[in-house]
Amino acid sequence: MSHMSNPLATPRQLYQRRSFSSLPSELQDAIFFATQCLTQAAGVLLKLPQSATAQANVLLARYWLVEPFMSHEFSDISAASIYLVAKVGPSPRSPRHVSNVYAYLLSTSSSFFRSPSLPPPSNNPSSYYLSDSAYQSFHNRILAAEARILYALSFNTHVSLPHPLAVTYLQTLDFLYVRKEKISKRALAYLNTSLLSPQMLYLTSQPNALAVAAIYNAAKDIGAKMPECEWWEVFDVDREELGFLVVAMRSLEGSARKMREDVPAMTEGMITRKTIEDEMKRRGLYAGNGYDMDSKALDPEAEMARQMDEKMAAMEAAR
Amino acid sequence: MDGKRQQSSFQQLEKLGEGTYATVFKGRNRETGELVALKEIHLDSEEGTPSTAIREISLMKELKHENIVALHDVIHTENKLMLVFEFMDGDLKKYMDTHGDRGALKPHVIKSFMYQLLKGIDFCHKNRVLHRDLKPQNLLINSKGSLKLGDFGLARAFGIPVNTFSNEVVTLWYRAPDVLLGSRTYNTSIDIWSAGCIMAEMYTGRPLFPGTTNEDQIVRIFRIMGTPTANTWPGLTQFPEYKTNWQMYATQNLSSILPQIDQLGIDLLSRMLQLRPELRISAHDALKHPWFRDLLVPQQQAQQAPHLSQQPIMQQPQQQHGGYQQTVPSQQGPYGGY
Repeated sequence: MSHMSNPLATPRQLYQRRSFSSLPSELQDAIFFATQCLTQAAGVLLKLPQSATAQANVLLARYWLVEPFMSHEFSDISAASIYLVAKVGPSPRSPRHVSNVYAYLLSTSSSFFRSPSLPPPSNNPSSYYLSDSAYQSFHNRILAAEARILYALSFNTHVSLPHPLAVTYLQTLDFLYVRKEKISKRALAYLNTSLLSPQMLYLTSQPNALAVAAIYNAAKDIGAKMPECEWWEVFDVDREELGFLVVAMRSLEGSARKMREDVPAMTEGMITRKTIEDEMKRRGLYAGNGYDMDSKALDPEAEMARQMDEKMAAMEAAR
Repeated sequence: MDGKRQQSSFQQLEKLGEGTYATVFKGRNRETGELVALKEIHLDSEEGTPSTAIREISLMKELKHENIVALHDVIHTENKLMLVFEFMDGDLKKYMDTHGDRGALKPHVIKSFMYQLLKGIDFCHKNRVLHRDLKPQNLLINSKGSLKLGDFGLARAFGIPVNTFSNEVVTLWYRAPDVLLGSRTYNTSIDIWSAGCIMAEMYTGRPLFPGTTNEDQIVRIFRIMGTPTANTWPGLTQFPEYKTNWQMYATQNLSSILPQIDQLGIDLLSRMLQLRPELRISAHDALKHPWFRDLLVPQQQAQQAPHLSQQPIMQQPQQQHGGYQQTVPSQQGPYGGY
């Protein structure tokens, strides 16, 4: 059992996830990004250490690697992963606590995912009051989602985070002779932002590579001088992977902006399955979730297209 | 983790034990006829899947060793979770009760059990897992004289960074002094302390430090091991439970308290029962201790030992597990050590 590394996604899993979903890829990205942001916001309100929230982000990403987006409400999966991580770690949170936080974040009183250009929403406690029955139903959904996540991950809830590695690496690099706090904070900020990336960097790279790329980006940003040799090789990272991660980490800001343009609903609070279905209708795309057997039977053309995709995937895999 | 395996793949036989969150049944694989232990965990309607079960499954899936009870399968249904373990005949507590002379075991059996216990612990520690709840009820014994670690419900993985851990671990009697003093940065040495307590208990048939409360537990340890001071234990005053009014006890000679144990055995025991965690011997080093020198190929010896293999270990299968009445508060009830 390795505690310094994570299980990674196979190219086949990444390909299938992209191609077999009925959702256009930019909607998949929007769901991923918004839900990861929601998880982070909930982690803050639940006063969880970032190490716990980050683990919830990674579990969520692993779950969506193998399970369809539309099978549960996005906020439910987010709540279940954070509940699960808190439970197995040193700082458990009660279902009631979690449900209060999500009720607030999803209410009209919360500024979560509301355009900063708009005036802040007024605080209206009745908008996040949960009746007993609403709480019961949330609670049931969370436990069902938790069981689903455990099944999908086959109970492997261990996540190895790159954050402590990044600090250790910086120590060995003498913090590149700049202020310790400054470069460490910047590197950790890159690692935290990467948790939100729809490129699922935590599923494609090991913690050591993420740590090195974050240090590289942080050093660039604050103008710290890096060693002239290929220092990343000391940390078992090759130039190609480093290059990919450096670009990927830097690209999230731009792609988040583009997401908001593509999916205008993202400025009106947390997106839901309903938002996505409406968006699909607006685009004139079929609004089924692609996993509904009845709808498949109704649409022989889509079924044929799906079968061709499958064949392609099989050929891809055989190659 | 075969998702297709059904609950009906196993024939449920008699109940072996019951605890706060799980019930253990004897079972039989309908296809192969193999005996198994079925640990049935009811999913709490409030908390969902118990964290102990999640930890246990995630760790046990990886820990495959001859001295660790094997997890064969997990069956997850809507309202319960069933863990399928290899079948063991009973636990060490029960074994001592039925085979010991008022609970005390024969020296060569103790040596074999200690060797196997330390091998299991060593494997856990090498894989960066702390068991955290070693006690006779969690050590499973089969008719071949094999001893295996069970019940990883409180176990956890450790790595970097060393998170602070909960100090509500390990049944009181086997709890290390640093944990009793409120340490949250304990490490592998807590399992070694427990192993030392278990070794003494196998010789006498009685727990070495049967405390009733946290305070009482500390006092009982100090009465034998001596009350530490800031001189004998640097950093002692930093512990949350440090008291300035502890009664001062002198260190007792272990061999006068445990005259049953030979000199080499006392030497090993005293290395395991060090108050200061950093002075406690590691499982790896303990296995190389000269006390084990006359233990020739322990597994085989144990398997061939006539007293162990001629008859089944337990005569009353109905009470094989969970027959032990727990008298100290514990996070988990006695449900057969799985």
